[in-house]
Amino acid sequence: MRKILVVSLVALLALSIIISFPISAEEVKTITITVWTIGPDPPSEYRLENFYIAADMLNKYLEILGANIRVKIEGEFFVRPVEWEEYKKKFYLAYEAGKAPDIYLTGHEDVGFLAEEGMIIPLDEYIKKFWNTTYYDVISTLWEAVKHKGRIWAVPQDTEARPLYFRKDVLRELGWSEEEIEALPEKIERGEFTLYDLLKVAKEAVDKGLVKRGLVHRVKEGWDYLQFYLGFGGRLWDPEEGKMVFSQEAWKKTLKWFYDAVWGEYKGVIWPGQFSKDWDKDFHLPITKGEALFCSGGTWHKAEWIKKGLLTEEEFWNNIGFALHPAGEPGKKPVTLSHPLIYTITSQAKERGVDEIAFLLITLVTDPHINSYHAVASAHLAILNSQILDSRYVQDPFLRDVAYMLKYTTFIPNHPKWADYSRIVFETIRAVETGELGPEAAYEHLLESLKEALGDILKIEP
Amino acid sequence: MPTLGFRYNTSRRKSYLAAFLVPSLAVIFMFFLVPVLLTLLISLTKMRFSFRWEWVYLGNYVKMMHDRWTPKILSNTLLYVFSTLTLFNVGTGLLISIITNHINEKVGAAFRAIWLLPRITPSTVYALMWLWAIREEPSALFNWILTSLGFEPIKWLWYNPPINWLVIIAVNGFVGASFGMIIFTAALKSIPEDYIRAAKVDGASTWQVVRHVELPLMKWPIMFVTAYQTLSLLTSYEYILLVTDGGPGLYTTEVWALYSYHRAFSQYAGGGELGYGAALSTILVIIGLIMSVIYWKVFRLEELMVEPKIED
Repeated sequence: MRKILVVSLVALLALSIIISFPISAEEVKTITITVWTIGPDPPSEYRLENFYIAADMLNKYLEILGANIRVKIEGEFFVRPVEWEEYKKKFYLAYEAGKAPDIYLTGHEDVGFLAEEGMIIPLDEYIKKFWNTTYYDVISTLWEAVKHKGRIWAVPQDTEARPLYFRKDVLRELGWSEEEIEALPEKIERGEFTLYDLLKVAKEAVDKGLVKRGLVHRVKEGWDYLQFYLGFGGRLWDPEEGKMVFSQEAWKKTLKWFYDAVWGEYKGVIWPGQFSKDWDKDFHLPITKGEALFCSGGTWHKAEWIKKGLLTEEEFWNNIGFALHPAGEPGKKPVTLSHPLIYTITSQAKERGVDEIAFLLITLVTDPHINSYHAVASAHLAILNSQILDSRYVQDPFLRDVAYMLKYTTFIPNHPKWADYSRIVFETIRAVETGELGPEAAYEHLLESLKEALGDILKIEP
Repeated sequence: MPTLGFRYNTSRRKSYLAAFLVPSLAVIFMFFLVPVLLTLLISLTKMRFSFRWEWVYLGNYVKMMHDRWTPKILSNTLLYVFSTLTLFNVGTGLLISIITNHINEKVGAAFRAIWLLPRITPSTVYALMWLWAIREEPSALFNWILTSLGFEPIKWLWYNPPINWLVIIAVNGFVGASFGMIIFTAALKSIPEDYIRAAKVDGASTWQVVRHVELPLMKWPIMFVTAYQTLSLLTSYEYILLVTDGGPGLYTTEVWALYSYHRAFSQYAGGGELGYGAALSTILVIIGLIMSVIYWKVFRLEELMVEPKIED
């Protein structure tokens, strides 16, 4: 009896060992590509998802061709509460540890820094291979955003416009007719409704108690509020000289405008604590609940508000209008600002020998249909000319209606020292809003600090 | 019976000493000396997040002298350290320990336990609770108290330096008071009962007991806490970061340690001046060392370390 038990146990053991070895006809080689992306707005998940879609497609091709190789994506998509600062720091530390991803999504303003530090590789040669099939179609102005010192360092992933949102229902209560409300975006486009007209209307609404705040804008450092400076005719970048620009008149007027909106003639339009870092309390909720009249936002906010359940599609179209950011004064032009995000390939990907495959995936993703998954879901704008023919893209009324804004758009500079310009501008505007500095003192502070930080990379013009 | 010291020869004794001391020395070396050395070295570079050692030697220190904000931030730091120290870390700590020592033991212990809560609450949770309590709506906690008493609600986090500093000092002070409280309570409890009884027999009131018996005997703990907490406050910045982030205006409540953090780690567009931040931190280390020496001399702390004059 015992002998039978022992023999059968040994047989079972042997069998299990044999079974656990997979019987495969051939070995399948898997290449893993790591991708890091960020929203931080949740609807932008297609920035990563598109890679899964592309890899899936690629693997299907490989299977059909009988190739024993597959591509696997290991991706990360970061959303709020993770913010850009943490995301970028994570990348730098990972790079230092030799663990940088192969594909790194970031804002185009980092191109200068990343290129000069050798963290990313130039893509001119790679793009040439697929120019005639894919890259010729990229909207040409976007290539400017990814160039540094004459070479191309990244592939554009998306862009957006930053509209001025306004509450139609509040304007109705102010006595505006439907025609006047519908005509407002065109009036702004023609330069007939300026930033001071905006303050007038907002102050009226606040004084009548229709809204608690006239205008809400972003609650932390960023680039949206630069549009007021651009509206007064200011410039940020001189491409010929490769310098950042300080337009004196424009800054004087911008700071005075901010002061007037918070403490001066139009007191109460902008709330002194607007830079509170609390997106929900001081940005999303006021505009979506009708407690603010104007909102200096981005096209992606529409998708974010709907995804968060703050508005339905119907409520958005009934109650919220959108236009360019107005010109500062008669004679100036309305503006919007675009901040293209870009896919870069890290130099560590090249060291690992997967740079070509990573680029192949980026090429697959730079497709009018796949990119439109992202554009429509997150209300970002097309990067390819033929995207406007994509059935999903063209059917989205919002994207169709904001497309005209790209004619008036600008980018922030790609320079590595842009961070200093940005920080000093943010501090100064915040000081004006909190009441610490008056417009003249703020202007002096801004000029002196920028001169000190940037030296001769700053071009000062009248 | 011979004492232990006679049974072991010197080298064995030395190896025991080494075995006991080496772990702590290793920890101090790894987590204190090495970082200080690295910070010093980084401060001589203009390192950014590319982690390249680009030597500028004393360039960052020169930059610091021309930085338009360093005078204001220095005065902010001194205001912050000495106000919090006197009002809360030493002042309130002393007050709590004396009062809780003179009331019912259980009640006193309960109060001291409550006062420990800010220190043991995770800093983000603690800061969030404060932010909730000081919201500007009249129904928020502090404004509700004010309006109930007939005062106007205060906008605590709007630009108003005296109010902003009050908030910062309170937020840090409530945490800091507990350290002094623990030390002072232990000191009070170690005062021989006989002194108190003798004073009471002589007709001393509680206040006189406190003033003439307890406080003089607490000289050493008070000086120790002052010295220790000065250094601790010099380098603390996390609550300020969480509550006002150095604001609300231009560096309104920014202290030196927080400025170093901001310049090194907190740039929106991804650039961080690690070299300059390290230089700012090094200055803090130097200030700390100088303060330590000053306290050592002024408070004659060496006398705390002498051999007791009583034979055992």
